[in-house]
Amino acid sequence: MKTKGRTSLSALRIGAVAAIAMALVATTITSTQAAATPKFGVACTTEGVSTGTSTTSLVCQKNSGGKLAWANVRLGQATGKPVAALTAAAGTIEFHHFRPEDKAVFQTIIDRFEAANPGTHINQVIMSSGDYTNLAYARISANAKAAVFVTVRGGQFTQFYNGGLLKDISGERFVKQNVIQSALTPGTVDGKVYGVPYQSLFNDPLYNAEMFAKNGWTVPTTWTQTLAFCKKVKAAGIIPFAWPAATRGNAGQILNSFLMNSAPDVATLTSRIAAIDTGKADLTSDWFTDIANKYKAMNDAGCFPANVTGYNDTVAPADFAAGKAAIYPTGTFGMSTVKNLNPSMAGKMKLMSLITVDTKPLYEGITNNTFILSVNAKSSSRDQNIARAFISFLATAPIAQLYAVGTSQHVSIINVDYSANIDLLNTSDIMGKKLLLAPRFLFNNVGTVRNPLEDALIAIGGGADVTKTLADTSKTIKQGLGA
Amino acid sequence: MGPLSGTLAKFRGRTKESKLLIAMAVPAFAVYSFLYLYPAIQNLAYSFERWDGVTKPEFVGLHNFTYLATNDDLFRKIVGNNIRFTLLVVIFQTAFSLLFATFLLKNTKTTIFLRVIYFFPTILSSVSVGLIWTFLYNPNFGFLNASLKAIGLDNFALNWLGDTKYSLYAIAVTQVWFHTGQMVIIYVAGLQQIPADLYEAAEVDGATRWQQFKNITWPMALPTTAVVVAYTTIQSFRAFDLVYSMTQGGPLNSSDLIVTSIYNTAFSSFKYGYASAQSIVLIVVVLLVTWLQRRTLRIDYGVK
Repeated sequence: MKTKGRTSLSALRIGAVAAIAMALVATTITSTQAAATPKFGVACTTEGVSTGTSTTSLVCQKNSGGKLAWANVRLGQATGKPVAALTAAAGTIEFHHFRPEDKAVFQTIIDRFEAANPGTHINQVIMSSGDYTNLAYARISANAKAAVFVTVRGGQFTQFYNGGLLKDISGERFVKQNVIQSALTPGTVDGKVYGVPYQSLFNDPLYNAEMFAKNGWTVPTTWTQTLAFCKKVKAAGIIPFAWPAATRGNAGQILNSFLMNSAPDVATLTSRIAAIDTGKADLTSDWFTDIANKYKAMNDAGCFPANVTGYNDTVAPADFAAGKAAIYPTGTFGMSTVKNLNPSMAGKMKLMSLITVDTKPLYEGITNNTFILSVNAKSSSRDQNIARAFISFLATAPIAQLYAVGTSQHVSIINVDYSANIDLLNTSDIMGKKLLLAPRFLFNNVGTVRNPLEDALIAIGGGADVTKTLADTSKTIKQGLGA
Repeated sequence: MGPLSGTLAKFRGRTKESKLLIAMAVPAFAVYSFLYLYPAIQNLAYSFERWDGVTKPEFVGLHNFTYLATNDDLFRKIVGNNIRFTLLVVIFQTAFSLLFATFLLKNTKTTIFLRVIYFFPTILSSVSVGLIWTFLYNPNFGFLNASLKAIGLDNFALNWLGDTKYSLYAIAVTQVWFHTGQMVIIYVAGLQQIPADLYEAAEVDGATRWQQFKNITWPMALPTTAVVVAYTTIQSFRAFDLVYSMTQGGPLNSSDLIVTSIYNTAFSSFKYGYASAQSIVLIVVVLLVTWLQRRTLRIDYGVK
């Protein structure tokens, strides 16, 4: 067996893992896709492919000699051996979340949980993400039966925390031992854990690896290369970036990439965002004007489709799935939509870093630990017991794997094997890069600051005047904050 | 004798039948009070407070109203949007529904079929209508622009929902399409009440179709028009679903209306007191506009 791993890894271990990965992947790739997708073999041939998130998982990457080799996955580890799920009391609770697309997978998991805990019932209460953002707090705060629920990192989590709805779960063993500890940050306040961020999302552009390979394109790694790439791809009759500018939520994902290398360090970036979020700084500052100018530069370089401000998140993934666009700049959460539109896209999507500087970037990509699972502090102790047991059940590797593979989402649970989902494998290389926790969510004033700010950038990306748009929006934000 | 004992004494003095009638009204009034009156009064109370929905509300007097009037340029822009939107919808929806109704007045198989066809959009969900029209308006492959280009009108193929200049009007067109059929039914019912002998007499006098419309149909249809205009006005000021599903108020708030603004202020910015004040402004504007319309139509009709 040919192995090119680090000397610290035994040839036997490498061979065994690679063989398992190959076998699992072989069952995933259909014959029609096989010709178009990378081949996962015993030898490490596809950079970035990873077999999972356990201490024994491997990732294919270049070694010091520039050759591809299997290496340990570089992830923060939990603080002990993973524990089994807690036992739940008998009773019925509600599980509130915002992912209708995950309903079937969650129902399968709930069925298993109920089978393991006779007399316990969990009802899913699902809203669309937009409604959930706006209405979840009002509904859950008035409903003690909503014993387990999710929040989004940032403003919504803070709102629930301020409302006293989040129970401290710092002492739970499954929190300490089953969850990748670095992923807990968004659910932690003053050192206490109030929620387990279940999903590890990567809010980086997806690109059509097959299209890139066929056309001989390489992923741009600097700002200048990005603009040149846009001109080249547009000239070939392909939309470079299928940016869904008419749908604010997903149009805003690209802002993460623009922010990540916009400041000399993360502390400066955080303070600049906080200054705008509180009205102490204007959008007309040099820093933000520079970001806005880059949106304009992308538009000028033909990166975006024609009439981009009318180009929504129904059309963008459809263009990407149909091979009319090279890049769909949203994140890993967009993969399932693309595959639903065109199943043959399975195995062809990879993640890229959108680098907006020509110097060495501070960060190479964005991650977001969100879908934060919490226990309702206002529920009865019996219902809280069920809620804790359910979260601990979700935090076991086999269940987390079921969720991950079924929904094409990476998770923040230890020892999860992604081998059964080729797209999770293909995008797992981002885990080995230097990632920044999505800075877009540092804007806590979503309605008053972030939405108008993103609207301004969308307009600028569509050709609006930078100076006027930023000045007008600054005024709107200041007036909104004063109300 | 206190007011309550006085009221009780009056109630005892009523006939058995009268007491029964009052008792029968109690459940409806209770439901109305609980579901409408109480929230409305509560909304008024919130409008004098600063409240984020989490911490304790703070009484701020008229601050929310004075801030709306003096410091909130965006809200003033949105009120302007809503007035323009309402004006367009009221004019075109009323005109089209009256026009169609005059052609669909007789109860033949064809006219009944056409009434059903025109009414059909009304039974669709507004989000579905929004999605359908979003596709029709798509600047790059939508039916509208494709049709315009096919007949050589490339310059009229616009970015309908993505351009600040057109988005509001594009949604107004959708609103007219969505609700005209509903108003056609109201007009047909109203026009069928006009005595046929008036038209027969007019025909004997040699009146043309236009003269018949001007001198019989229009004045006799004014009470129905008053209903249609008032209903359309209120409907236009309450428009939310279409805007939210088509543009979310964008780009740059160019299609934001008062109700979408209230929703965003309350549920995205968590300024419940300020949103309540905006809703009070909405009620005042709707009352004012409706009163002016009724007054105008009554004067024209000669009922003072």
